[in-house]
Amino acid sequence: MSLVNPFGNPSDVVHLHLLLNHIPTIGSIVGVGVFLVGLLRREQPMRTAALEVLFLVALATVPAYVTGGGAIAVVEHAEGTSREALGAHRDAAFVAFTVMQVTGAAAWLALWMFRRRLPAAGPVSLAAGTLAVITLALMGNVANIGGEIRHPEIGAAVAVPFPGIDAAALANSVVSHLWVWPALETLHFVGMSLSFGVLLVMNIHLLGLMPGTPFLTVHRLLPWGMLGVMLNVATGMLFFSGNIQQYMENPAFHWKVVLLVLAGLNYLYLTVVEDDWVSDSAGRIRPITRALAVSSLAVWIGILYFGRMLPYLRGVLTS
Amino acid sequence: MSFLAAVEASAFFTWLRESDSIGAFPTVLMLHTLGVMALGGACAALDLRILGIGLGIPLASLRRLFPIMWASFSLNLVTGIMLFCAYATSLAVMPMFFIKLALVGAGVATIVVLQRGVRHDPTAPAPTALRTVAAASLIIWTAVIMAGRLLAYIE
Repeated sequence: MSLVNPFGNPSDVVHLHLLLNHIPTIGSIVGVGVFLVGLLRREQPMRTAALEVLFLVALATVPAYVTGGGAIAVVEHAEGTSREALGAHRDAAFVAFTVMQVTGAAAWLALWMFRRRLPAAGPVSLAAGTLAVITLALMGNVANIGGEIRHPEIGAAVAVPFPGIDAAALANSVVSHLWVWPALETLHFVGMSLSFGVLLVMNIHLLGLMPGTPFLTVHRLLPWGMLGVMLNVATGMLFFSGNIQQYMENPAFHWKVVLLVLAGLNYLYLTVVEDDWVSDSAGRIRPITRALAVSSLAVWIGILYFGRMLPYLRGVLTS
Repeated sequence: MSFLAAVEASAFFTWLRESDSIGAFPTVLMLHTLGVMALGGACAALDLRILGIGLGIPLASLRRLFPIMWASFSLNLVTGIMLFCAYATSLAVMPMFFIKLALVGAGVATIVVLQRGVRHDPTAPAPTALRTVAAASLIIWTAVIMAGRLLAYIE
């Protein structure tokens, strides 16, 4: 049943990581560049575009990080691998990933505030731009160390910016403490419910079932859904980092990450959506809006399905 | 107790518990999680509005959430009974199981009260009594999720 596995064999994960790992650095450069130009030219559409880029880069960093975890298992014992560079790359990636997600969250918040014409949107977008510069520096270092893993001839210095942070040890402490795992799982379930509940209201609106209620009123609930998503990205990445091999061997997890990226795109759509995208000039809701509303909820049911069934699907999907 | 043992040992619940098919226990467990996501999520969105997030949303327009909540509750009643029957004798002696049942009862009571409140109050700020129930509802459903998770880890 290899048809149901997006990656046929483990080395595909390495190829995919080598493809995706360019997005956090190059994407951040594009995001910061557009942001600075928008700032200098005082053009709002440009600032919005920069924030959208930063959010999308943070989203793409999730599969980049996850495939990196899978790649470690493949190259760890391969000949010519620098074990020292590999460990440093992993720990630096853990920090950079975390800061990238905070940057993405700040960029998202600024987008949400700009959509609502809130005066604080300017300062929040400046914070997002500043965070993006820090992310870029961290990601550049991660990429630099990453190159050393298989290409020691480059001779780049393996600089460990936060020597105290050991991603594997941190994740192990999550897995091995009696109460930490169930507590994080509870948060993971709460985050999921929060996100689904908010999307339920927004999509009921987009289906035209809340006549007379302006879209921007339900748009007000969106940060609570995003809070749920951020909670789940944080707890989910701790689960993942503690059991990388177990997750990467399981096609259900790969599908879950694919659906998570779609869910992120849906959040961006709901954040910046304009009235004329939703309905035509006569006020009729467009078929594409209805399709997006239904698929938004279907994606979350899929995320729940692959998450909850993860331990049981492993044998079925890989046999 | 002998009755519970008989239920647990019956052909259907033995199959549900012991079958290797992912259509057995895993699917019922997944549907139970789906139910709590939809029920807890819809209720949380309503609670947030009552507590003052998105005051522009008319409370009455959120009555669409109640059919979803009751459908999810029905799903979880059915799947919950199935999951209980599969492990009846061990669950029936766990205090945490009865704590969870009590919490679910309290959570359902808050939904009944909220449904009445939403019907009678179409205007912006909700009365203090309704806000108190909404806050309680948020806490109770979170506690239900916590109790449900803990059932998998304690004996």
